[in-house]
Amino acid sequence: MSFMPKIKIDGKEYIAKENETILQCAQRNGIYIPRYCYHPSLSIAGNCRMCLVEIEKMPKLQTACSTIVAEGMNVFTSSEKVKKARKDVLEFLLKNHPIDCPICDQAGECYLQDYYMDYGLRKSRVSLNEKVRRGKRRQLGDYLILDNERCILCTRCVRFCEEVTKTSELFVANRGDHSFIDIKPETSLNNPYSLNIADICPVGAFTSADFRFRQRVWFLKTTESICLGCATGCRIKVQHNDNTVYRILPLPNEETNTWLCDFGRMTYKEMYSEDRLNHITIESQEFGLDLDKVFDYIKEVKPQEIAVFLSPNLSIEDNIALYYFASNVLKTENIFIPSLPERKIEDGILKNSDPYPNSTGIEIIANKLKLKKDEKTSEKFALVISSLEIAKTYARDSKGIFFSLTKSDMNGAIVPMKSYFENEGTFVNWQKYARKTTVSVVNEKAFSVFDVMKRLAVLFGSNSFFSSLKDIEKFISSNGIDKEFK
Amino acid sequence: MIKVKNIKIRELNIWERIYIPEIIRGLGVTLRHLFSNLLNPSSIPTISYPEEKVLLPGHAKERSRHRIKLRKDGTPKCVACMLCATICPAKCIHIEAGETENFVEKYPKKFDIDLSRCVMCGLCVEACPEDAIIMDTEEIPGGAKDRNASYGKDGLYATKEQLFEKKREISTFGAANRLANEFLLSKERGNRND
Ligand code: SF4
Ligand code: SF4
Ligand code: SF4
Ligand code: SF4
Ligand code: FES
Repeated sequence: MSFMPKIKIDGKEYIAKENETILQCAQRNGIYIPRYCYHPSLSIAGNCRMCLVEIEKMPKLQTACSTIVAEGMNVFTSSEKVKKARKDVLEFLLKNHPIDCPICDQAGECYLQDYYMDYGLRKSRVSLNEKVRRGKRRQLGDYLILDNERCILCTRCVRFCEEVTKTSELFVANRGDHSFIDIKPETSLNNPYSLNIADICPVGAFTSADFRFRQRVWFLKTTESICLGCATGCRIKVQHNDNTVYRILPLPNEETNTWLCDFGRMTYKEMYSEDRLNHITIESQEFGLDLDKVFDYIKEVKPQEIAVFLSPNLSIEDNIALYYFASNVLKTENIFIPSLPERKIEDGILKNSDPYPNSTGIEIIANKLKLKKDEKTSEKFALVISSLEIAKTYARDSKGIFFSLTKSDMNGAIVPMKSYFENEGTFVNWQKYARKTTVSVVNEKAFSVFDVMKRLAVLFGSNSFFSSLKDIEKFISSNGIDKEFK
Repeated sequence: MIKVKNIKIRELNIWERIYIPEIIRGLGVTLRHLFSNLLNPSSIPTISYPEEKVLLPGHAKERSRHRIKLRKDGTPKCVACMLCATICPAKCIHIEAGETENFVEKYPKKFDIDLSRCVMCGLCVEACPEDAIIMDTEEIPGGAKDRNASYGKDGLYATKEQLFEKKREISTFGAANRLANEFLLSKERGNRND
């Protein structure tokens, strides 16, 4: 058994873990110590001095983020001495700060603002004109804008580039109050995880160029969901207002992700692309949102001519609806899953080699329901293929019903599909964690696969189809599919 | 949890229930004010707005139709920080931010106030960190001018063009104004380096 030191924080006794810092121990026990440079997923720098605490028998205040606990330590996190120290540290940090809050995108989620209100509340002794000027608005890379005047030199951004992406683009240039964050000559800040820097920068120095000036953060509402940019299936926070998604942030968790890749953050843009479908197209003719037309298109086709493809882009529920429709309403035996790419983390951080979010999910379904796997088919008519690549591989020359977010050149009925911000469903990531997407924004000009199957089943005169997602869940558990999920 | 609070309503006494004496008493109060106002008009607490005005405390001063102050070069002082739209209890300010070429970086691409919803509370003026929005035009929304439809279609939907219309005093207060002032100065000197 490892050694577990007993320490006292603010008069209460806690059992710390070995080699834990005071800050971590306090945090675990619900005591918040203000910090700038400390980040749980980065190395400890101890340069901002915001986390100073008083320790009995130590003449000077110590930084809680870098002091390891020791047996019998008696720590005070809110004594008068500590409060005074915080106030002074803040005054130093704000000494040359431009106080741009009205034009700063960080306002509302800024550690400077928060701590100033909590611990500072002191008028600046340096007038605006005397402040040291550093560069403003500088675009570094495609997604980031750096305002050096607002930087407090916590070096979180530098450490992120060194330790996480290992690309080391950033460094601290110059000395004293003229130091600033700079980028190495002839590099650009375009690593695939660059937008995490905007998240971890505790102030408005690094802000996102994509989100820039589009919303004030306090208007945003958050829903928790998952990113379906690849088979890793990171947990995310979707931030939206007035039925529009504005940005995606990571929702750190032990199992998969602390960070989020830039590609995943930009997936919401497809929803607002100019090519977004909002009507049904059948052989280049537009039909509004009338599913009866789709029925007319498919009703004459003989069951043995139809091939149905489950899709790694669709949720478990949608795939089950599709399977059930094919086997019980169409009564076809040709139900396939496409061949799926190998799944592994490519770059050692997050990005998976499999671009589909639910490959593992449909493999499980295929095993349980004994579906055929990737056979070349001679059927003339394909049903429901939601990924363009898969459609092109398996149904290039056939007619069919295709689901798509954006305009597509496939030959058949193209049905506008709900994006995963607009539809709820379960996806199984490469580690077999089953996670649900949530409806963040409402779209009435698109369908989920389940919506369409339900309507078609009615038109085919079937009365045994699922009537709600609950029924599908029952089907899933009665076939033991969910036993495979983590 | 909703808390329930029991309030005892006082029962009317016999005089109040008879009703007539209370009416006479009420008329007495009215008459007393009639005569005191007649003999001493300066004691009347109400004023004949809009002919007469009293200045309100704080930055509001008065509450008539809004305007947005302009800088020396005619650009709006507003930087689209949305604080006015945030505080507005009627949710009638609609702003969209855009990016500028100059130092200040941000400006309102769209700035509309739906005056038919505005409750004239003046909170937007109090909230503005830039001293940009102000209600000192001495025009009352819905007044004669609006009926002449000189303010767009129905006069009560004020857009940027109308709000930015009037040039008056040049204001140099406000958080982002250091940048604006530096920008204007450099423009005067002719050495822009933004
Ligand atoms: S970094 Fe924070 S304190 Fe500084 S201007 Fe931005 S919001 Fe204001
Ligand atoms: S840019 Fe942000 S993260 Fe980087 S050192 Fe400055 S304040 Fe810290
Ligand atoms: S006066 Fe009040 S209601 Fe009218 S725009 Fe300003 S904040 Fe809104
Ligand atoms: S509060 Fe002032 S600066 Fe901010 S958006 Fe309103 S008018 Fe513009
Ligand atoms: S958080 Fe401890 S010194 Fe910065």
